[in-house]
Amino acid sequence: MATSKLRPTHGRAIHGMGRSIALSLLPGSLLFAVFILIPLAVLLVTSFTSWDARFIEFTRVDNYRRLASDQVFWNAFGNTALYAAAGVLIQVPLGVAVGIVLAEHIRGWRVFRAVLFTPMVISGAAFALIFANVYNPRYGLLNWALDLVGIQGPDWLFNVNTSLLAVAGTFVFNIGLFMVLTMTEVAAIPIEILESAQVDGASRIQRRIHIVVPLLRHVTGTCVLLSLLATLGFFDIVFILTRGGPADTTVTLAVYAYRLYTAGQWGYANTVGVLIVVAGFLLIMLMRRLFRIGERDL
Amino acid sequence: MRFRALALITVSTGAHYTLLAVVTIAALVPVAWVVVSSFKTNPQILSNAGSLPNPLTFDGYRNAFTDVELGRALLNTLIYAAGGTVGALTTGFLAAYPTSRLAFPGRRMLVVAFSMALAIPLVGLIVPEFFIVRYLGLFDTKIGLILFYSAMFFPLSFVILRAFLVSLPYELEEAATIDGAGYFTILYRIVAPLAVPGLATVAVLVFIFIWNEYFFAQLLTISFENLNVQTTLAQFRSAFQRDTAAQLAGATVAMAVPITAFLLLQRYVIAGLTAGSSR
Repeated sequence: MATSKLRPTHGRAIHGMGRSIALSLLPGSLLFAVFILIPLAVLLVTSFTSWDARFIEFTRVDNYRRLASDQVFWNAFGNTALYAAAGVLIQVPLGVAVGIVLAEHIRGWRVFRAVLFTPMVISGAAFALIFANVYNPRYGLLNWALDLVGIQGPDWLFNVNTSLLAVAGTFVFNIGLFMVLTMTEVAAIPIEILESAQVDGASRIQRRIHIVVPLLRHVTGTCVLLSLLATLGFFDIVFILTRGGPADTTVTLAVYAYRLYTAGQWGYANTVGVLIVVAGFLLIMLMRRLFRIGERDL
Repeated sequence: MRFRALALITVSTGAHYTLLAVVTIAALVPVAWVVVSSFKTNPQILSNAGSLPNPLTFDGYRNAFTDVELGRALLNTLIYAAGGTVGALTTGFLAAYPTSRLAFPGRRMLVVAFSMALAIPLVGLIVPEFFIVRYLGLFDTKIGLILFYSAMFFPLSFVILRAFLVSLPYELEEAATIDGAGYFTILYRIVAPLAVPGLATVAVLVFIFIWNEYFFAQLLTISFENLNVQTTLAQFRSAFQRDTAAQLAGATVAMAVPITAFLLLQRYVIAGLTAGSSR
């Protein structure tokens, strides 16, 4: 957390501006307090309660103990981890690779950038509807295409062996954000570094592996973090497509927390919620360390 | 010169286009298939996934707008997106200005708090958000959802605008101060005009995000007159079990607005996401 741009001498003097500054900060701070800070506090406190429509009582760490032996929770945890793996091992590398390629401004790069970024602005609900039909066993696009090469595809979403794969397939090719982040980063690599490597006789692949990839450590870390955070809150597509089924094979932590909320188990839902929020914080701290994200500026 | 040197790190052009082709097909074909198929009749959709619409029909669109109140949902979404964007933009700008341009006690703490909020997975806060919104008498109201979205995207707006304001020169503000201009005069007359690119970036981005928001729309609204387009879309599969064309038409309509906004304002969307993500 370098403070180069935040050194105390930076910024103009504020004689007589105290009230104006406070007034200026008030609306945002109010929204922040009411809709983010207080809910966080309520979440944490009530995660130690048994809370439903009739009563609320403190049960100390009972909810947390219950998690340990809750099979659905562990399913949700495992699935979320698998989605995260799909994101980190497929989505991020694809995005970074395409970003490196397009940063070289090969012919047609603007078109590819626009086209590959477009899925980023399509909603989860629309994606769910798209893939509900693409995966449809009777008339869907996927099985139609497989049929052309003589393969009879399964009922992707309702077969316990393929459901998780099918849900992961809805987002792994949505690489637009990682692509543009990488493009920006590659453009910032000083040209002299690449040229001097050429003089030293490094081959193309050597240059790419030994020079470009390490310089992209920072942006790769950012992409991994964003991918993990997105998975942690993964809800819309799963909820609309499968409700977490069949047999909880696609359920995520967020879907499970929502299910507990609709079942009126509010205290326990909040325990799962706390885990989601804490996991988010831990991820950020860990990734900041690993990839030195955020060291340049806050 | 720069790009020729960058080509030094090229493996081979063929490999590049192969990668791009594979990724483009995987990312785009499902979407394109839905858009094309939305102009077919149901028998056409059911008989051959690979065929083109023949003849072109708008039955799916007609049904999507008449059997379900898609029109009202679109209007509601426009209200939420416009209101929430104005809210997040105004509060974000008002908070970003002093924390980027002026020195005062507690500044650092606020910056850290608001920036960290960007990374909180809000889906974990289902129950507290529901009860707080209900406690404030805002459950199932348009103003409630607009306020919520303003808060939800306040941190993003704050972070992007602050990054933008930090880089502006100080001279104009200093001159205006000497001329006796007050805080809000400077903010409105001098800083805001300079910050227009940043403000535009935030506006486009937040508008698209709110347009696409599903989770809190379905948590915080319940009656038909308050549903947004995503919550409506989520019911399409059960509402149109035997009318696939209407499902596909609904998805196409819901996508059309953000995709159009993105294609027209690409530069702002990409700049905003890059600035908002890398901090």
